[in-house]
Amino acid sequence: MKLSSLVGTTSFKLSALYLGLFLCSFLAIGTTVYLLTTHSLEQQLKNNLGSEIARLQSEYESGGLPELITEINEIIESKSHHALEYGVLNQDGQLVAGNLNQFKLAEGWQTLRLTSPKLNPNENHTFLLTRVVALPNHLWLGVGHESDIIEDAGEAIIQAFLWGFVLVIALGAAGGFYISRLFLKKIDRITQSTQAIIAGDLSHRLAVSENQDELDKLAILLNRMLDKIGALIQNLQQVSNDIAHDLRTPISRLKFRLEDALKTNLSEAQYNEELASAIVEVDTILDTFSALLRISQIESQSRRSGFKVVDLGDIAASVTDALNPVAEEQGKAIQTDIEEHIKWVGDKELLTQLVFNLVENAILHTAENTQIMVSLKPFDNRIELVVADNGSGIADKHRQKVFQRFYRLDQSRTTAGNGLGLSIVAAIVELHDGTITLADNQPGLKVVVDLWRK
Amino acid sequence: MKILIIEDDTQTRDYVAAGLKEAGHTVDVAKDGYEGLFLGQEASYGLLIVDRMLPGMDGLSVVKKLRSAGSSVPVLFLTTMCGIDDRVEGLNAGADDYLVKPFAFSEFEARVNALLRRPRETIEQKFLQVSGLEIDLMKRLVTRDGHCIDLQPTEFRLLEYLVRHAGQVVTRTMLLENVWDFHFDPKTNIVETHISRLRSKLNVGDKPDLIQTVRGAGYRVYETL
Repeated sequence: MKLSSLVGTTSFKLSALYLGLFLCSFLAIGTTVYLLTTHSLEQQLKNNLGSEIARLQSEYESGGLPELITEINEIIESKSHHALEYGVLNQDGQLVAGNLNQFKLAEGWQTLRLTSPKLNPNENHTFLLTRVVALPNHLWLGVGHESDIIEDAGEAIIQAFLWGFVLVIALGAAGGFYISRLFLKKIDRITQSTQAIIAGDLSHRLAVSENQDELDKLAILLNRMLDKIGALIQNLQQVSNDIAHDLRTPISRLKFRLEDALKTNLSEAQYNEELASAIVEVDTILDTFSALLRISQIESQSRRSGFKVVDLGDIAASVTDALNPVAEEQGKAIQTDIEEHIKWVGDKELLTQLVFNLVENAILHTAENTQIMVSLKPFDNRIELVVADNGSGIADKHRQKVFQRFYRLDQSRTTAGNGLGLSIVAAIVELHDGTITLADNQPGLKVVVDLWRK
Repeated sequence: MKILIIEDDTQTRDYVAAGLKEAGHTVDVAKDGYEGLFLGQEASYGLLIVDRMLPGMDGLSVVKKLRSAGSSVPVLFLTTMCGIDDRVEGLNAGADDYLVKPFAFSEFEARVNALLRRPRETIEQKFLQVSGLEIDLMKRLVTRDGHCIDLQPTEFRLLEYLVRHAGQVVTRTMLLENVWDFHFDPKTNIVETHISRLRSKLNVGDKPDLIQTVRGAGYRVYETL
């Protein structure tokens, strides 16, 4: 993997951006810490000096100059003064007590620069923060403390932050490279898979890691798209095969029949009859074509754009109403248990055909005196349409196959139908995100269509 | 009646034109959309038969253009069987009826007649009357020779449609589409069953049959018996 390609990746750019932002905030925090620390240290120093001065001032007030001198000398000799420097000057600037004589004769805070290495032998000069107050009788008292401690602390903070800065840059850059490499690797894998798919291996799927990151989610989505495309292609091949197999037969039959008619000497009336029945055969073939095209159109899901709110209760009622006389004519009865005003978003024409095909099937494929039950009921999470009969039912092994195109229980194909009715039903159910199951009605067949609420 | 056929397929065009001429209509033909639009703008046509797929300008656009130019001539769309969305699209574009190719000429003829005989301004009728049969559309009552006939809602709609097209052949598909709003082919004979029930209710008391079965085509209600 080339460096330039790494630097060009989105993840690297993002890492760089975050690193920059992080460093900026890092600098801001460093500055704040520096300022706060030095300020509070200085404040603390000033407080110490202030209270020391106040103590000496009260000594002077109670015992006068001698008392003050004694106190200062005691402190210096006891060496318990912790880098504190004391000095009492008279009006002429001469040292009366202590050892600090560089301060100006003015009240307030002063920073003195001492060049003698006395206080700090490692450096040739040191700074002294000094508090100066005027005492009665033209005396000046000064107490100082070296302020290098503040600068030292400040420097330590700056140094710590500088190291941190370097560490962050190093880790950030390394992390950025690592993440980008990881990212590029995944992209490479996706590219390879895609190329394999383009090359014709439609069963190939993109690798999905366990991390479930954004790329994995994308890969899962793409895999689902590939599944769908695969199913559609398979469907297309299936349709071509179906047409090839199942339409060849009736077309050949028609051809033989016409050839036969041509060879034999028939009367005009007989020819007319032959032509009429040939037209009927052609119509059947055309119907099959229409049904096949209808199925593939439904399966292409383009109808979804035309979905509207429809009343399933109305649809079921109008279908049973239309088919009831037909059932009665054949000595069968349709009982209904249809709830009114069940609203659903779908394709009215297709949902009508769904109910129609199921009820019509129940009428067509059962014996006389069969009871057909149509019920439509809403549940919390779904709407359930049941078309059941107490006829002879469908054996277990056939149940799933009846949804296949041209699959017919009656292999001799003498009963009405082209073996596409249930395929259309299955396609319509699929289009509406529903499920269809065939169950044993004991006796008979029970078709259950569930439309699930989203 | 003068009819314009806009169809690029020579065989379909000749087949349709010959049949219509035989039925006594004057027929003009156009081979593409532009020619069709040009001819269709003439006011003298009683009906346009328009193929959906045309070279140049497609059938939908031709009808849309004619409609936006204020033409109210009835239009029958012809289409290949590939589109189940086509019907709605065609009707939205301003077509009056829709027929999927290949079709039986009887089906085509029935639809052409229905469109030609359609009153230009639909006046809200309250009563329909035909040879002794009277339908009160407001009260939804049917009487024959003064005797009240009790009909189911579907039977009433079926009879109303037939009577509105009295004297014309009405096909099974036309009934399925207009009475039941079913746009697919049933495998059972629901139209026949409903017609026979309606018949028996209408003919109570051995009255002559009002509904004639036209073999291979459909049904017709006699205008006069």
